[in-house]
Amino acid sequence: MFYISVFFQYMAQYMKTKLQYRTDLLIEWLSDFMAQAVNLVFLLVVFGHTPLLHGWTRDEILFIYGFFLVPYAVFGAFFNLWDFNERYIVQGEMDRVLTRPVHSLFQIILERMELESLLGAIPGLIIMAYASVRLSLTFHWYDFFIFILLVIGGAFIYAGIFISLATISFFADARTSIMPMMYNISSYGRYPIDIYHRVIRYILTWVLPFAFVGVYPASYFLNKQEWYDYAFMTPVVGALFFAIAIMLWNAGVRRYRGTGS
Amino acid sequence: MNAIEVEELRKEFKVHKSRSGLVGAFRDLWTRRYMTVRAVDGISFTVKQGEMVGYIGENGAGKSTTIKMLTGILTPTSGRIIVNGMNPHKEREKFVRTIGVVFGQRSQLWWDIAVQESFRLLKKVYRVPDEQYARHMSEVIEMLEIGPLLDKPVRKLSLGQRMRCELAAALIHNPPLLFLDEPTIGLDVLVKLNIRQFLKQLNERYGTTILLTTHDMSDIEALCERVIMLDEGKIIYDGSLEQLKEKWGQGKRVAFTFAEGKDASILQELTAGLDVVWKKGEQSNVWVAHVPSGGVPEVVSRVAARYALQDIRIHEVSTEEIVRNIYEEGAVHG
Amino acid sequence: MDKYVEMIRIRFLMMLAYRTNYYTGILIYAINIAAYYFLWAAIYGDKPSMQGISLGQMTTYVAISWLSRAFYFNNIDREIAMEIRDGKVATELIRPYSYLGMKAVQGLGEGLFRLFFLSLPGLLVVSLFLPLQFPENAHTWLSFSLSLLLSFVIYSELNLLAGVVTFFTFRNEGLLRAKRFIIDLFSGLILPVSFYPDWAQRLMDYFPFQAISYIPSMIITESFQGADVRDGLIVQVAWCALLLLPIGLLWRMAKKRLVVQGG
Repeated sequence: MFYISVFFQYMAQYMKTKLQYRTDLLIEWLSDFMAQAVNLVFLLVVFGHTPLLHGWTRDEILFIYGFFLVPYAVFGAFFNLWDFNERYIVQGEMDRVLTRPVHSLFQIILERMELESLLGAIPGLIIMAYASVRLSLTFHWYDFFIFILLVIGGAFIYAGIFISLATISFFADARTSIMPMMYNISSYGRYPIDIYHRVIRYILTWVLPFAFVGVYPASYFLNKQEWYDYAFMTPVVGALFFAIAIMLWNAGVRRYRGTGS
Repeated sequence: MNAIEVEELRKEFKVHKSRSGLVGAFRDLWTRRYMTVRAVDGISFTVKQGEMVGYIGENGAGKSTTIKMLTGILTPTSGRIIVNGMNPHKEREKFVRTIGVVFGQRSQLWWDIAVQESFRLLKKVYRVPDEQYARHMSEVIEMLEIGPLLDKPVRKLSLGQRMRCELAAALIHNPPLLFLDEPTIGLDVLVKLNIRQFLKQLNERYGTTILLTTHDMSDIEALCERVIMLDEGKIIYDGSLEQLKEKWGQGKRVAFTFAEGKDASILQELTAGLDVVWKKGEQSNVWVAHVPSGGVPEVVSRVAARYALQDIRIHEVSTEEIVRNIYEEGAVHG
Repeated sequence: MDKYVEMIRIRFLMMLAYRTNYYTGILIYAINIAAYYFLWAAIYGDKPSMQGISLGQMTTYVAISWLSRAFYFNNIDREIAMEIRDGKVATELIRPYSYLGMKAVQGLGEGLFRLFFLSLPGLLVVSLFLPLQFPENAHTWLSFSLSLLLSFVIYSELNLLAGVVTFFTFRNEGLLRAKRFIIDLFSGLILPVSFYPDWAQRLMDYFPFQAISYIPSMIITESFQGADVRDGLIVQVAWCALLLLPIGLLWRMAKKRLVVQGG
């Protein structure tokens, strides 16, 4: 209960801050949109040369991409800790965080949240709508709730991986550029998993389970029954990876308090 | 009850030693060399509730490491710490609700929003009841004279204004113990006076225990009856400021401005038997004599009888000089 | 000249400090390229070639274009923008060297580091399990090296241009990011330019982007032959020269502005 009320308090402060820089908001959104357009252009151009990608049609792949954008937007809004090392370790803000009576990760997530990233879900929803019309997909009333569940699961997978990466800062004294590169890898979850070699398929499913953010959950809505097991595992994998991330984080904080580096 | 009890506290860091040059950097890629640094080396002290203690030392003496251990940010390598009856690095979240911390160079206010918004958020974080907040904070705001600043965003405040707001922010939950790390760094004299005045009031009214580190000895003189002095991780003095001055600050400095340049040996000869140390002043014709207490009239009369003088000035030895002397000469046990 | 060499050395030392980067960078590059390979294999299906490029050539194209990116990529636009915002640029201007020149050299230092210690080992790793096709013709390698160097110059010039523009507009992190995506997309990094629809290809002829990635990658895969190689290099040289103009002009205006406003 306490954590929820703190959450809303932070959210209110956040809104007040953001309203001060409205033009930035627009430009930020435009550049986010541009990043997505790059991927979209790739898909569209490629399908200008081939009708099928390993048996998947253009619209099916567009649907997967649209779905992916939604958990990705949720992740971007709350768990984007890309500057954690710079801000909290190098500049020492971590010390301040540790003098406050709230869990350190929770505080940092609230301090770094960027709610405007949620806007990134809108193009995703539009792409999904477009693709489902062209594929004449049908939905049940409960699909909405399944959608929410799968989105949360996907966002938690992202969060788990990127929080775990942020904890590296507690253990290694060097700055890393793993995070930007991880963004590259994360994008492979957006393509049908069966096009990859089984090693990569294994990595994208169990090691860096980005497939659970795109292709697996989306295949539920595309009625690809052979992937249903994976689709429904999304929330479980999400919870698991998030739990691992929190354990790593706590270990990292213990280490930080040992070295104070 | 004691606010702080520290026994044989020790903190060691492993520091990575980098080799020099490009070749060295490549070798560091594969093997790294470490050395152990003792930042805090077996210190013990207690602070009673309601005390104001100055914690001083040169850069790297171990001040901030101690503060970080006392506030639960760092865990000690060995030793015992009890602060407010708790072990700071265990039950962290419960513990930090009983302390306030101000880092002089680090802000806890949100840059872009009004000061009172930050206060409101911290009130939530520290779970302060409305009624207690209203009563306590209105006093704090009044004492610090920050009422007119509350609706301004932090980025529009001057450093002095911001520092006063930082202090208020650290006191939102009315903690019985306050840690201040360089609270007056970079502030002008008037703001310093205001902050010292406030800390005194706070101590008198609420009995708040205050531990502060500072480079500015005038802060210590204005606030603290007791100082703990640190050098290379060890306590070299722990006692009252008065005693420190008596022991080390005896005597006076007398600055003579002569009509023409002099040299040390002549002056030394002149004051032979008086235990006077001569040092060269800022100009060639200025010489400063360090004279033991009671010896001033004799020294002045001997010098004035012999040489033509343009000016004489007599100074008390400042705390700053005492501290510098102690560091130059090594440990004392007061 | 010495001071510029020294700057490259310092950049090397700085890069070496980030040692976790170094280990993981190679691994992640390999995964990245491998995933692209499978994506392209799926796109090709059983077609022997698309737009005159075989799957083998395409794989090499992707591997090389990401490697080249490690060399020509730099953040000097953001660094300039940051130094302008923090007011550091004024102190940089009184130093006895050309500010923009120094920035470009810093970028070169970083680029060389990544080329030798990240890209080349990465390429070695990737070539162990992917069917990369390297030309045996020394002439091709020579043309490629020259072309890659020109890529660096053009990319850095664009970054300098973007950096200098921030003198006149404040707060443009977003714009700089957008610029990066545009370059990734239209330079031929993501897709060979020849895959785009004709109208888009004609439009891109008016921009310097394809001179950054498309031309060197087409040269090394020997998709360009004879006259195409020569024309590609000429296009690159032309852009190198042409871009100097707006940079010089804006930089002069910026300096004037700096003097008038005192930073």
